[in-house]
Amino acid sequence: MKKSFMDKLESKLMPVAQYISKNKYLISIRDGFLISMPLLVVGSIFMLISNFPIQPWIDFLRNTNIGGASIASYFSNVTDATFSIMSIFVVVGIGYNYAKQEKTNMIFGSAVALLSWFLLMPFSTSFIPEGATEAITVPSIPLEWVGSKGIFLGILCAFLSVKIYKFVEDKGWTIKMPSGVPPTVGQSFAALFPITGVIIVFFIIRLIFSFTPWGNAFEFIYKILQVPLQSVGDSLGTMLGVYLFAHILWFFGIHGTNITDSVFRPILYALSAENLRALEVGQPLPHIINTQFQDLFATFGGAGSTLSLLIAMFFFCRSKRIKELGKISIVPGIFNINEPIIFGLPIVLNPIIAIPFILTPMVNILISWITMNIGLVPICNGVIMPWTTPPIISGFLSSGWQGALLQVFLIALGVVIYYPFIKTIDKQYLKDEAEVEADGNDEDVSLDDLTF
Amino acid sequence: MIKIIAIYDQIQSGMGTKDDKMLALGGKNVPIGPSIMMEPYLKDINAKVVACLYCGTETYLRDKETVSKKLCEKVQKLHPDVVICGPAFNYKDYAQMCAEITDSISLSTDVPAIASMSAENQEIIEKYKDRIYIVKCPKKGDVGLNSTLSNLCKAAKLLADNADSAGDIKQYCF
Repeated sequence: MKKSFMDKLESKLMPVAQYISKNKYLISIRDGFLISMPLLVVGSIFMLISNFPIQPWIDFLRNTNIGGASIASYFSNVTDATFSIMSIFVVVGIGYNYAKQEKTNMIFGSAVALLSWFLLMPFSTSFIPEGATEAITVPSIPLEWVGSKGIFLGILCAFLSVKIYKFVEDKGWTIKMPSGVPPTVGQSFAALFPITGVIIVFFIIRLIFSFTPWGNAFEFIYKILQVPLQSVGDSLGTMLGVYLFAHILWFFGIHGTNITDSVFRPILYALSAENLRALEVGQPLPHIINTQFQDLFATFGGAGSTLSLLIAMFFFCRSKRIKELGKISIVPGIFNINEPIIFGLPIVLNPIIAIPFILTPMVNILISWITMNIGLVPICNGVIMPWTTPPIISGFLSSGWQGALLQVFLIALGVVIYYPFIKTIDKQYLKDEAEVEADGNDEDVSLDDLTF
Repeated sequence: MIKIIAIYDQIQSGMGTKDDKMLALGGKNVPIGPSIMMEPYLKDINAKVVACLYCGTETYLRDKETVSKKLCEKVQKLHPDVVICGPAFNYKDYAQMCAEITDSISLSTDVPAIASMSAENQEIIEKYKDRIYIVKCPKKGDVGLNSTLSNLCKAAKLLADNADSAGDIKQYCF
């Protein structure tokens, strides 16, 4: 890669990366989703136990009753308290983080985000009782909207409500208590007018939507924004594009997936949640691209699928420096941590390794998508795992033995892609090492010979 | 040809992860880590990294005096034209090590030295910015590493040329 080309590429990409990494809204989305992550992981583990892919086990859980309900239903209570209401956590998280960005009260930020979102929500569920012909409507918080379907409106509500809160606060329209009043009491009075402002605005928004054909804001945002975005997200081209961008950023030393996640992660989460819901009711899984597809099949060992690189370094390279680095990095690599080689090899700003670093994830995505599309490998079931889950285990839990096998194949293929490039570097290092040795020096600089 | 020595921690040297803080003091007489990333800019200023010394951050913090003495003595012995400590990004311990070592080298040897770290290390920067050159660098994973490496090389050249260039170097620094 010529230096001038690199400079040109950098000057084109940096403003985009800079914009995304400094954007208050995108930072809040990214950090808000991080709050819901541990809850979904733990919820997933329970989901996984009750759906572990061994039929006698599943039958046992479904057919054994405790206190009038099957064991399986107790497990699904956990799913109900995590996945089924995931948008609530996300709204709270984004409200909190956006309030932090706007430098206003964070807990009230969460509260108004939730409040405004609930204000727009139709608090009723329609259902047809057995034997009846007409649907009856009962007052309730609808599970339909607090799950993944309400997520995009939740994001919008969090931003708008905190913005109104901050606006009223900045105008100074607050009740100021005399000094001597405990600060928590003072804070709760200070929040009165800002909260009133939020309620008035969302009250009007709700009213306006009741005159539209959609009836409410949830229906509107879901149909107009979320469904189109999800279908854009659930496409091979988008996934390839997102990872291409992320990995070019990595090459310039920028945490690429951190940047793309702030835009792409909400879409992936919504897609995963739909898969999980389908899994629960035993329907075919609708989306190939989802959180697990990105986390468990696009790369192994961290960005650039560097586990393959490490294997190539460990088994096929002969220079001392690469062998040593391979030895140090392989254990963290199994858990998808690749910091030592990102900076140590280095991968950053290293044009030779950039080619396989960018190419390998593209090949992984392409092959995984094709094999899932033709049904050779089951689509990821939506169970969220920490990204540190080692490959093979993660593939098995998400897509059965076929998933584990696919991961093994892709890691091996990655070794083949990386091999010629790391060999080129290896040869250069071997030459350097031989030269140093011919000069009668050791490559290691000893600092033990120093006396004081 | 300008001869440069770089001083790294366990991560930048590629000798370990952030948990391998107790990495023993050591060195390589070939470029490693960021020295390899800097290669195109080194060519521009006709420079070469002749040695990379490294030390785990905890190894340093537990016995600053010995580590610092050994590094200074080695620098004096190898006598490069300039020493670069960093880039330390937002790694706090490594940033502290960079600033202190740069200071020691400037005081106890006749070799000029520069440090590099990100603005997150505010306390360290405040304490040292008037005594040593600290080239600005982004935090880990943020935008601007490429231009930092270029600036580090430009600053290194100005220092090595030994002209009265403090003003020119300052434009890259805190």
